[in-house]
Amino acid sequence: MTRPKRDKVSGNKDAGHETVVVCGEVRTALLQTSLPLSQDQCARFLALRPDEPVRVSERPNVYAVSPDLLTGVDCRLPAASGSRVRGVGTVRAHAALTGGRVIQASAHFQYTTSVSGQRLPWSHYLVRPGLVERLGRTTADDLTAGFLAPRATEPGLLDPGSIASRLLDRARGHELLDGQPPLKSRRTRLRWAVRQVPPGAEPSVHFTIVDTERRTLLLLLPGLMDAKAVASVPPFCEELALHDWLLTTLIRVVERRALGSLSGPEVANRLGPAVSHLLHLWLPGARSGRELPELWNGVEQQPGFTRQWQTLVQRIRDQLALQSLPLHDSAPESSRAPTSAPRR
Amino acid sequence: MLVFAASDKGGTGRSVTSANLAYRRALRGDDVCYLDFDFGSPTAAAVFAVPDIPRGAASGGLHSHLRGAVTEPLRIDVWDRSEHDSLRYAPAGAGRLVLVPGDLGGGEFATAQEAVNRCTKLFAQLEEEFDLVLVDLSAGRSFAVDMALESTARPELRSAPCHWLVFHRWTRQHILAAAGLVYGERGLLANGIALGHDPARLRAALRFVRAVVPGQDSPGIKHARPPQSVWMHAVSRQLDALAAENGLGHGKVLGSVPEEPVLKLQEQLITDEDVLETQVANPETRSALEQLARRLVDDKAWEEF
Amino acid sequence: MESVFREETADPRTESVPLSHLSLELGHLYMEDFAAGRTRLRSHFDEVRPWAEAARAAAVRTHGPRARVSTCFLVDDYFTRHSSPSLVLPMLCEEAEAAEVRIDYLARESGCARAGNREPARAVEGRLVESPPPGSDGSRPPASEVGWLSNGQRSPGHHADSAEAMAGTPPAWAPASETGAREHSVFLDVELWSEQKGERLWSCPFLAGVWQLLRLGMLRHDGAAVLRPEEFGGTFPAEWAALPALLRLNRRAQPFAAYRTFSVLPTRFLPVEHAVRVLLGQVHIEAPVREQVERRAKGEGVVLPPELPDRAHYAFALEP
Repeated sequence: MTRPKRDKVSGNKDAGHETVVVCGEVRTALLQTSLPLSQDQCARFLALRPDEPVRVSERPNVYAVSPDLLTGVDCRLPAASGSRVRGVGTVRAHAALTGGRVIQASAHFQYTTSVSGQRLPWSHYLVRPGLVERLGRTTADDLTAGFLAPRATEPGLLDPGSIASRLLDRARGHELLDGQPPLKSRRTRLRWAVRQVPPGAEPSVHFTIVDTERRTLLLLLPGLMDAKAVASVPPFCEELALHDWLLTTLIRVVERRALGSLSGPEVANRLGPAVSHLLHLWLPGARSGRELPELWNGVEQQPGFTRQWQTLVQRIRDQLALQSLPLHDSAPESSRAPTSAPRR
Repeated sequence: MLVFAASDKGGTGRSVTSANLAYRRALRGDDVCYLDFDFGSPTAAAVFAVPDIPRGAASGGLHSHLRGAVTEPLRIDVWDRSEHDSLRYAPAGAGRLVLVPGDLGGGEFATAQEAVNRCTKLFAQLEEEFDLVLVDLSAGRSFAVDMALESTARPELRSAPCHWLVFHRWTRQHILAAAGLVYGERGLLANGIALGHDPARLRAALRFVRAVVPGQDSPGIKHARPPQSVWMHAVSRQLDALAAENGLGHGKVLGSVPEEPVLKLQEQLITDEDVLETQVANPETRSALEQLARRLVDDKAWEEF
Repeated sequence: MESVFREETADPRTESVPLSHLSLELGHLYMEDFAAGRTRLRSHFDEVRPWAEAARAAAVRTHGPRARVSTCFLVDDYFTRHSSPSLVLPMLCEEAEAAEVRIDYLARESGCARAGNREPARAVEGRLVESPPPGSDGSRPPASEVGWLSNGQRSPGHHADSAEAMAGTPPAWAPASETGAREHSVFLDVELWSEQKGERLWSCPFLAGVWQLLRLGMLRHDGAAVLRPEEFGGTFPAEWAALPALLRLNRRAQPFAAYRTFSVLPTRFLPVEHAVRVLLGQVHIEAPVREQVERRAKGEGVVLPPELPDRAHYAFALEP
């Protein structure tokens, strides 16, 4: 099963000088430990700064977010036109855990125009957390297209992804993790950009699967974008990244080796961890759906996340049901214990 | 599982055998990542027949990554990119086969804490994703070897299963050299223990692979005159004794790969097509590689006596 | 979901701390000074007095006769522990008083590292946002990982970069440079901590920076003030660990924290305080805290320098 690809980037012209542009990257990975972390453990795990609390919500599943970390940047900005534009400011990052099982590191920033046209004393940027001022002329379109282009990850260009990646690496060495995850999985990275478009236009979502690891997301949001509207975007992107990761991971579990060629216990062994650790985490829009329902609707139509997920889940259920039929007759429950313990 | 391929000397078939091992595991459904840590002469891209980078990645390869020049090393999906006909598409049921190439003309680098940090993170990240991470180290006691030893002793990788394969040819010099690499004064064991590895665990994780071993069917043996044949058997017995004396005895051998004419001419993957259809490669080679691939993940092969 | 940073939602939880106009630090002593006895302490405070009086006079000139000035003294019990508070501190207070420089607040340096269940140093470390030298694309490991904080671009060949050299291509040397320097650089690289047997040892400049932030009223723990002065009960404990992190010796003292600080120090502390300036310029202060202080200053007609480092003033005047 492949998901439809959408590569088309909108050709909308820049609406004005103060067009809101927010860019970021989310990295998503399975927490490298055998059992999901409890709510208390999540809070301990994400206590990246002792003076700020970890925010934990219990519903609809345990979700915890670390306090934000800021990173100063002063470098070239990825512009599609290749024009040399410099950016100075700070990037915000945090880590989050969903269900004590999936870890995400997210880093993002908003562009603003530099009034002075030069780099100012650092205190100027410290009081504007999460803003990157651009020095040099360019358009909002140029910046979003440049940020989502494949060559935007060249060294020397502003890269929130490396900040997010460092957060994941830092988390991995935590004492709460035993390093024995129930399944192999790949990290994914979602690079996203939001651009404000003139009022009246339909909000649009352009989600692209670049390769097995990288995805890009371009959001075009019409009308006024105040601080609250801007703040609602990163949670949406993180939630989208989470669900894309769940889907990607489940596809891999199902498609890695032809399930039909495996024996009953092997099938159960293959699918079991995914069923018990991942299936219940699928709740698209649970956190950001209220603020941005139209975006979730867009994603559900194209690429149709939930449709794909349900197809996969059904396939898994069918496989397990199929395997359990003969098993019930021939073997007691205990003989279905995992046959391939983790190799050492 | 992390597997490190080491050898004391060049010409042991280490790179080509470990690449074939990676290929065989992927055919069996494992997700496999092959890292070319042979900074002196990155050649894995050529073995996997990946175009554009026959001598390692121009930039953005492993060496650049460990130096901090790029945040993520280049990854090449072999099924997507190989020019080898049988590799172009993933066979049904195969796992992923990903090559992380070295850098073009990378050269060795001086020991560096930062490089070890990056190396540890890289191994940890790949181990999270792949069933098998196979690291082809440069020959001899190199920085690549030290870096691998040091990384795997770090807390981040302590729970990750690690294996060390030492490749050597079936000659007196190679046997002694391989023994020196493992058991010598500054050998893998001594260095590893100094870096914090548990001695018993590290020793148990070490196996030898005999490569380029003259087989019964090799022309030299098949068409040998009787006195030659007698002599060769005698030498072979002597080598067996020598290997056993030096800690390379049967209990420590994971597998043995016969001399293969195809590999003498070109370092490449031996596909089933090469053996069964075009018959350019020997079936013994294929079954030896298959056995090696099977034993690599067989707990019995790693039991200590 | 609401935003993660509390800045954006002027958070009512952020406690405001009372503020003086000036927090005046009466010198700094090492344990060997205490060991040298009463005479040494007395001569110290005799030396401090004219500078302290000058600072007070300057505050009166700016804020009028009702200028609020509090004095403080920081005892170094973090790097070395000498004798016992019950033996040393009465002597210290008496000699200060005899020299007519009364100590209002007594703090211990360990309190900058850990005060009860609070860890001000860790909190400040988490708030460091390094001023990025040009070329910083986000891939540089942060000071909290490296343990060093600088005011610019390190010379290649320093620190981590040196060992990355590949055989045959020695790293090109380039001078270190200060970010935003006027014409020429004064580059400074500050060690924030070291590890000893897995224990973190904060550096003297880093703790000095935490001390300045506490005096400037800039630190909170989950919105609450980090250090609350405890009233002096009349006797000092026998153990340093039993001494409160901040003790109010004078009941009628003005508030501990202040809009500005003034420290009278031996000249050899100049490099340490240079490091403090570098640090203060790269600490991200929560917006509600910063704004509280600015709002109140404005209400009182007090002019505040916008840059945090410029709110710390010094007299490097004492004998070593």
